[in-house]
Amino acid sequence: MAVPGAPTPTAVDVPQARAGVGRGGVVRGLRYVLTPILLGLVGLALYVWVSSLELDSIEQRTLNADFISTKLWEHIKLAGLSTVLVVTIAVSLGILLTRPGTQRLAPAVMALTNIGQAIPSIGLLVLLGVTLGIGFTYAVIALVAYSVLPVLRNTIVGLQQVDRSLIEAGRGMGMTKGAVLRRIELPLAVPVILAGIRTALIINVGTATLATFTGAGGFGDLINNGLRLGRDNVIFVGAALTALLALTIDWIASVAEDLLRPKGL
Amino acid sequence: MTDAPQPMIRLEGLTKVFPGQQTPAVDHLSMDIPEGEIIILVGPSGCGKSTTMRLINRLIEPTEGRVFLQGEDVTTVNPDALRRRIGYVIQQIGLFPHMTIADNIAVVPRMLGWDRRRVRARVDELLETVGMDPGTYRGRYPKELSGGQRQRVGVARAMAADPPILLMDEPFGAIDPITRDRLQNEFLRLQADLRKTIVFVTHDIDEAIKMGDRIAILQQGSKIAQYDTPERILTTPANEFVEQFIGHGASLKGLTLVRVSDVDLAEWPVAQAPLDRGALRRQLAESDKASLLVLDERRRPVKWLTLRDIESPGSLDDVGLPAEPAIVEPNATLHDALDLMITSYTGTVIVTDRGGAYQGVVELDTIMRRVDEVRRAAVERMRKDEPGSVPAEDLAL
Repeated sequence: MAVPGAPTPTAVDVPQARAGVGRGGVVRGLRYVLTPILLGLVGLALYVWVSSLELDSIEQRTLNADFISTKLWEHIKLAGLSTVLVVTIAVSLGILLTRPGTQRLAPAVMALTNIGQAIPSIGLLVLLGVTLGIGFTYAVIALVAYSVLPVLRNTIVGLQQVDRSLIEAGRGMGMTKGAVLRRIELPLAVPVILAGIRTALIINVGTATLATFTGAGGFGDLINNGLRLGRDNVIFVGAALTALLALTIDWIASVAEDLLRPKGL
Repeated sequence: MTDAPQPMIRLEGLTKVFPGQQTPAVDHLSMDIPEGEIIILVGPSGCGKSTTMRLINRLIEPTEGRVFLQGEDVTTVNPDALRRRIGYVIQQIGLFPHMTIADNIAVVPRMLGWDRRRVRARVDELLETVGMDPGTYRGRYPKELSGGQRQRVGVARAMAADPPILLMDEPFGAIDPITRDRLQNEFLRLQADLRKTIVFVTHDIDEAIKMGDRIAILQQGSKIAQYDTPERILTTPANEFVEQFIGHGASLKGLTLVRVSDVDLAEWPVAQAPLDRGALRRQLAESDKASLLVLDERRRPVKWLTLRDIESPGSLDDVGLPAEPAIVEPNATLHDALDLMITSYTGTVIVTDRGGAYQGVVELDTIMRRVDEVRRAAVERMRKDEPGSVPAEDLAL
């Protein structure tokens, strides 16, 4: 399925390229290598198992490479696009809400996004489906509303925890406000913001499974088909593939987090 | 106020009232800051000294009044461009943790559009200036440096674009006393070459006396209680506030105004290997001292030998009193010297050059002579300023 094996060499290089390679570096190196190997093995086992099954015609219609790859692509599009939108919206909003003039609005906006996350995800999806319409676009809107909070909160926290004396030093040296934001505040907030993005990404991969109920496709279709037609094998494959995808994306995100964290911290 | 050469910085009726506050933090402050001197703003916490400094580079905009740099009114120029012309050092240093030492120092030159080669050369030059090897430290990150090294980099960064003015807000405030002392001495040595105009904020009167060419003692609202040289502030405080702020022992503090290099060093009998008992005994008998100072092959002080040590049966390598720690460099103050002298084994302090080679000693007599001179000068000045009103107890030492 996804990426087993291939990224191993680069992944091993990562901890060595960094300053302190101690025990932590070794553990991280193992994690870089072992996770994809493990995920690859599980994927392989799933494939071997499905191949060994005697599939009836209904199962064959779902459990074939064409159908699965279409659903995989739909799923990735749902989760990927909604995450990109979330990052764009939440990071800009977070920057805005930490500027001196507008930071008073932060609590109100946070309360609003809290509501977005407090509503159960399937409720939000169906609610939007019923009121606005069904299909890909509305599913993406629902996913965005549901996962904007972690990124927004982490952006605000990440920017707020930047040492005030660094900002003072930057301003005192003649950096403009924009330069202080770009060159000091954002780079130093990157680890916290990335953690929020990773959370949002995982939420989106999971929640995208529910998009099947508003006709937006994804792996949810497999599970839903299996449920409606009473085929346990199909349900199982759909669920397993969703889990594998989520874990793979989480692994990619964790590597990205390590690579993008500014050096010297 | 228009006499003499143009001041580097002129503050005119500078006032700052923070929103929501009744009393101004800075209240109609006017002062001239001459070129090439270290001016200390010192006062109790909350007197407005830091605010005053930030008004100069307009990190805080004044409510009223104007600031002139070299005659140019900078109250209305672009503040970001203004700050690139003024070096700024703060107590927390504020090195950017995600940038290397070289990148930290290069921030202002790059903003000014210097080309890469010039920036690189300047970074190396500055690291050399503050006594850090460019090859070793250029590519390191701030967290890999000690507090003292970070402070050095902070100073180097402030001087990166060679600004004529440096603003320093308690720059040595967060550093342990021993390192602070060393950094202060290093900084004074640097300043002797660079002759920058420096506005230096501290709440520590001892630091003010040590570092300042002139000291402005500030009261609430940045009102100047006295603006004068350290000598005159110590010997003739303008009012009760200044007297209280200086605290006890003003005369003893006066010793921090004199460097070891300013006094005549005394001689001490010295010996170098190979040590011969007979020669040592003779040398000691000819001098009026109770011990000899042994130097190593590079003339660095090793230990003191008394007659008892020389007469002892074993090897001369195993006897004697260590020369450490009563050793100072010429830029140490007489205050430092006296401090070490009191705990020294022989009642003297050894003076070495920067390479550690012996130059002479300072004795209690040396210091007493100097104290006498200061006292006599103060008496002279008092007689001239206010005839017939010498408060004798102020001058007693």
